[in-house]
Amino acid sequence: MQLHRDRDAFAKAGVELVVIGQGTPRNAQAFKDDHGLDLRLLVDPKRVTYRAVGAKKASVGELLGPRVVLRGLRAAASERVVQGRTIGHPAQLGGVLVVAPGGEVVWAHLANDAGDNPPNEQVLAAARAATEAA
Amino acid sequence: MLGKRDRPVAPARADELADVVLEDADGREVRLGSLWEERPVVLVFLRHYG
Repeated sequence: MQLHRDRDAFAKAGVELVVIGQGTPRNAQAFKDDHGLDLRLLVDPKRVTYRAVGAKKASVGELLGPRVVLRGLRAAASERVVQGRTIGHPAQLGGVLVVAPGGEVVWAHLANDAGDNPPNEQVLAAARAATEAA
Repeated sequence: MLGKRDRPVAPARADELADVVLEDADGREVRLGSLWEERPVVLVFLRHYG
């Protein structure tokens, strides 16, 4: 997971990085162990939060289109990771929200297709701005 | 109504998330609103594990 790479930078920025995934606590623990993740991982097997934030369910083209596959291959090469077995709804896309004290969503990026992830630098900049404003 | 191909739009506020309770990897319950009571939080919604 790309954001985990910069977890120290998020901690320095004064924000907590919390990950929400599908599946069960057991799936989440296995994912943490497999990837050596040291962060808070919550599970939402019914995808209540995904619906609440408006995360998209992808079409076939948005999951497997040439542009998406190419970006996936590039990410796999640069991160040296390979996608594992899918747990949860296969068409469910993700996203990133920065929430300020008081509940305002001060920055958000919801994926438009399977390869649509925001650069860490953008998320970090939003996190720093939220801390300064808090 | 938005079509399937339209870019998704996030809500301006996280109020709908605040009272949702989810389990962490150890099975402990977490009320989401508690995450941003004191400081900003970055919520990352995974597409899947893998």
